[in-house]
Amino acid sequence: MGMTEKFKVKSSKLKVLKTYAFYASALLLFCSIFILSACSPQKEKVYRKSKILMDTIITVNVVSHSAEDANRAIEQAFSEIKKLDKFLNFFSDKSELSEINRNAGKKPVRVSRDTFEVIEKAIHSSEKTNRAFDITIGPLISLWDFHNKVKPEEKTIRQKIRLVNYKDIILDKNASSVYLNKKGMRIDLGGIAKGYAADKAVAAMKRNGIKSGLVSIAGDIKAFGLKPDGKPWKIGIRNSRPANEDDDIMATIELTDMAISTAGDYERYFIIDNKRYHHILDPKTGYPADKCRSVSIIAKDGFITDSFSTGIFILGAEKGIKLLEDMGIDGIIVDKDGKIHTTKNLRGKIEFTKDQQGRKRNN
Amino acid sequence: MSSPKISRAGREITKGATTADKILLIALIIISVSGFIFIKKAFPEGTDVKIEVNGKPAYLLPLNVDKTVSVKGINGDTIVEIKDRKVRINESPCPNKICMHDGWIQQGALICLPNRVIVTVTGNKDRDNRKIDAISG
Repeated sequence: MGMTEKFKVKSSKLKVLKTYAFYASALLLFCSIFILSACSPQKEKVYRKSKILMDTIITVNVVSHSAEDANRAIEQAFSEIKKLDKFLNFFSDKSELSEINRNAGKKPVRVSRDTFEVIEKAIHSSEKTNRAFDITIGPLISLWDFHNKVKPEEKTIRQKIRLVNYKDIILDKNASSVYLNKKGMRIDLGGIAKGYAADKAVAAMKRNGIKSGLVSIAGDIKAFGLKPDGKPWKIGIRNSRPANEDDDIMATIELTDMAISTAGDYERYFIIDNKRYHHILDPKTGYPADKCRSVSIIAKDGFITDSFSTGIFILGAEKGIKLLEDMGIDGIIVDKDGKIHTTKNLRGKIEFTKDQQGRKRNN
Repeated sequence: MSSPKISRAGREITKGATTADKILLIALIIISVSGFIFIKKAFPEGTDVKIEVNGKPAYLLPLNVDKTVSVKGINGDTIVEIKDRKVRINESPCPNKICMHDGWIQQGALICLPNRVIVTVTGNKDRDNRKIDAISG
């Protein structure tokens, strides 16, 4: 009898223990599902932040395992851009650029390494594009008011165009100084500063140990590394003449370790007597260039894509494609009739949205 | 002497537990898994409307609740309206009104440069993978 009683006690104790074990294992299972369902803090993520700087919207994307690392890199990228904006802003009286412009025809101005370098690179792009891109276009830009739809007088354009020639920029590397040879000359870096800033922002991210990221300064984009899903960054190219709201992207392209910039006649413009007057001025005529609707350039460096998108826009599709292919740079040109031209190397790499298929024509 | 008796008892208990406890276990698994599915469906990511002024967060609002807010920018008030899971800038003190011309959006961003106001709809995770990372032009 004593034997059976002892046995019964043991059995009930075990049963209680057993129930606990089941609850514990269920809890364990619950937790493991939690961990498996992507709540792990070790997983790579894209961290993104936007700010308004350089009179435009800037977005920095960083791929990182930790929010802390990502935020530090993002802030470093923004402070780099902020620094450049302080040097290069055309509209700020305090910028180094304004000081150069104020002293045109008077004296050389000593500038920071960044300012010197961006002007040096701009001159290089002027030479390569046979002066289609020219940063001394400042006096002409100031004549056009796209907001109030003011078209300047022919006479005024002819007067001011004499001040436009990059060869009148005198650089002294040893003194790190810039001198504009003629009184009234003005440098406008609107066609190169954003691409250059994208380069510098990416360099800042890399210095902070970031392996993958993307910075977009308005339409000037530079991407490096791969996204957490192992794919390159996907960039949309804006359609210059969208038929409706859903038609705003002309094509997409996947990029890594590359920059892309687009110049378009749809950004700032007004129309008088059915003629479109837009902000991309031909330095040789003083009037908006009329050979293209939009030009996108893809290359390693943002300062190249930015300045060449403007320069090739002015040169037109025929000369443009030839120059790009000679230089080993890629481009997509939509000419004034809406035909799409691409460099040979890009074929098969761009994905055109459906509506664009009919208009596509390779050179 | 007692060890064979205990092992027999152990077997008996295991035998008894398998029916009831297995049901309990399966029920727990179903509850936990369906709980996840329910949470993901009920609160999908990317239904937030984030409004920033001059780089600083001003509002974080759900996209599925209709609401109109007045955001103080550097030049005045920008009116942001959320309705039927869409958002728009209804009024802005800027000269060009570019932000207002964008109309209603479900994803992406509305930007008023002069007033330093950025309205972003954070995209759904699944949609993000197919989505474009940046636009040139």
